[in-house]
Amino acid sequence: MRERAGPWEISRRAALLGALAAGAGYVFWPDRTRAARRAPRGRIELTYWEKWTGPEGAALQQIVDWFNHSQDRLWVRLLSVSDITSKAMVAIGGGDPPDLVGLFTFSIPVYSAARAIMPLTEFAHRGVFDLDRYAPGIAALLAPDGVPWAGVNTCYTLGLYYNRRLFRQAGLDPDSPPRTTEQLLDFADALTQRDTRGRITQLGFGAILPLWWPYTWPMLFDAPIYDKPTNRCTIASPGCVAAYEWVQRSAARLGPAAVRAFAQDFGRSMHGPGDPFISQRTAMIVQGPWIANFVRQYNPDLDFFAAPVPLAPGMPDPDQPRGLLEADVIMIPRGCPHPDEAYEFLQFMQRQDVQERLCSLHCKPSPLRQVSDQFRSTHPNRAVEVFDAIAKSPRVSVLPQTSAWERFADETTSAFDAVWDGADVRGTLSALEARLQRELDRAADIRRRRDAAREAG
Amino acid sequence: MSRFSAAARDQAAGLLWVSPWIIGFLAFMAVPAAMSVYYSFTDYALLEPPVWIGLDNYRAIASDKLFFLSLRNTLVYALGTVTLGTVLSLALALLLDLPLRWRGLVRAIVFLPTLVPIVAVSLGWMWIYNPNTGLINVTLRAVGVEHPPNWLGLPGLAMGSLIFMSLWMVGSAVVIYGAALRDVPVSLREAAAIDGAGPVSRFRNVTLPMISPAVLFNVIMSVIWSLQVFAIPYIMTKGGPNDSTLVYSMYVFRSAFEYGKMGYASALAWLQLLVTLGLTLGLLALARRFVYYRAA
Repeated sequence: MRERAGPWEISRRAALLGALAAGAGYVFWPDRTRAARRAPRGRIELTYWEKWTGPEGAALQQIVDWFNHSQDRLWVRLLSVSDITSKAMVAIGGGDPPDLVGLFTFSIPVYSAARAIMPLTEFAHRGVFDLDRYAPGIAALLAPDGVPWAGVNTCYTLGLYYNRRLFRQAGLDPDSPPRTTEQLLDFADALTQRDTRGRITQLGFGAILPLWWPYTWPMLFDAPIYDKPTNRCTIASPGCVAAYEWVQRSAARLGPAAVRAFAQDFGRSMHGPGDPFISQRTAMIVQGPWIANFVRQYNPDLDFFAAPVPLAPGMPDPDQPRGLLEADVIMIPRGCPHPDEAYEFLQFMQRQDVQERLCSLHCKPSPLRQVSDQFRSTHPNRAVEVFDAIAKSPRVSVLPQTSAWERFADETTSAFDAVWDGADVRGTLSALEARLQRELDRAADIRRRRDAAREAG
Repeated sequence: MSRFSAAARDQAAGLLWVSPWIIGFLAFMAVPAAMSVYYSFTDYALLEPPVWIGLDNYRAIASDKLFFLSLRNTLVYALGTVTLGTVLSLALALLLDLPLRWRGLVRAIVFLPTLVPIVAVSLGWMWIYNPNTGLINVTLRAVGVEHPPNWLGLPGLAMGSLIFMSLWMVGSAVVIYGAALRDVPVSLREAAAIDGAGPVSRFRNVTLPMISPAVLFNVIMSVIWSLQVFAIPYIMTKGGPNDSTLVYSMYVFRSAFEYGKMGYASALAWLQLLVTLGLTLGLLALARRFVYYRAA
């Protein structure tokens, strides 16, 4: 005789039907978001891949919505794509690229040399792309060989964020952040606190936190790491050695192991409520303008400001701050389905009001020469002028424009690790320079062969 | 009368039924593998058609510091995980072969970690290894160790920490050893005991030879798996600090998808296959001397 199901038991058939009903419900349930994002009938749909997610992705979606509602011919579908550099490479190489792709300025030399993206001069019949509208550093990034290959989608520079409350607590003047690298070390000492076991509970400053730009320190010593005209790696130059000796000294003053252990707490919590600066566990940090965006979300009462990253003694010049300049760029892959229409959207993105809106939402400075008074007066990042001054400074530095850049960056990170832990600076950098030069030579040799093969048809 | 024999019809039907696998194997394994042999002799950056460069990729590998470093790291990882994993899983299997209470439950507990997704395991162990708030260092401090080490943050310790963590996943090997142990004839153990053999001698002279095929299988699988390790160091250390946990597969991945050197990555991948094949063949050669197969 079959047993009847108890009050808390369900039969297999009922479970199966329930699962089917749930699946059907998901498929047929009217989803306003999905429907709202679908292209209206009669419009040409453009696919746009971009790296941003979360609030930054939402800000860009606002801009895309603005474009979609500003005309009735095109419809841009924005897709947030993780690990976008790899996926863009595979999609373009595989012959199925999106109409637009958002990458980084260091991607431009690789993609342009391969002719995998379209030079914007090819769209002159649809409106000239005017490089003069951009800050000089940005224009050079968009057109490394003089030809514009990409539009810009916000830019960033690095600054030194500092916590004014912690400055006051440590007896420091919150209106006088450190201006030299030596002052930075003194301030870091004063702001660092430890528990009874000697563990760091509050870090003044650590060049290892975050370990995202290990190649930026030579810029503070006016020492380039790459010479573009000769394709030479110069990371073992006296200036670079001085920069990494300073890094090593900064580690030694607080204890390299202690700082590393402290930094490890934040491996997965950057840009969240647990971010070391936002949670006030580090008093000073080198970061981009976007941090202000996350501060207003997670700790709006944080009393902070930003200053140019301190320079080696004898170098600071308030009128010409230094720092790294980078930009997010938007490019049109060769072979995409709608290049002309993609260019129309790209040009929309370059409008002053559009860039100002996006930069404002991202808390970043504008990449354009001209900015409106409204942009300045309503910008949500209270330190935007600091980042803007660096972006427009004639002494701004950019990343090496070479197809071997990613390898360059990875190897520099490893060398930084070794230097941090006490390795001989000169020896480490000399070995690094030799290895990177081999990579650069090899990349140049391959490029020559490719160009020769292309010319030969 | 049919033009085809019954055997031919059976063969055609068999091929038809396995055709999805054959098509999949050809499309997703055999053809890409063959193409990667060709790519290994080219410069192929994905964005442009491959350009033939002969043996240049292999020559470049011969002077590539990261190649040797990642190979050494991977061999250290393989040696550690295979040795420790084999000892631990055998010990656990022997323990679970005893008539203990709750044996079934303990078996399930030992097997359970293998069901947890690798990303979750890695994130969990990152917390366990956290130098300030991690379970290990908090425990060490509680028992009086003033300055416990930074397990993943020191180049000398990071690889060892990853090897130790891999022991978390010995469950499947324990199950295989458990099955093999149950297959050892009780009469042999009893005969050895009557002849005066102690527990260690019985294990060495009776149990181990009888389960040696299972040991060989587990060791070969562990070697292959550990030479291909990727996800754990990629998530937990990203190859650092100072490249101390940069493993071979990660270097292949970086070369292909970060540096855009697909041809170079293909050459690296083929060398990885050769190393794995060499080690497996070496183990099989050793097996002729050490593995005992009972007659059917």
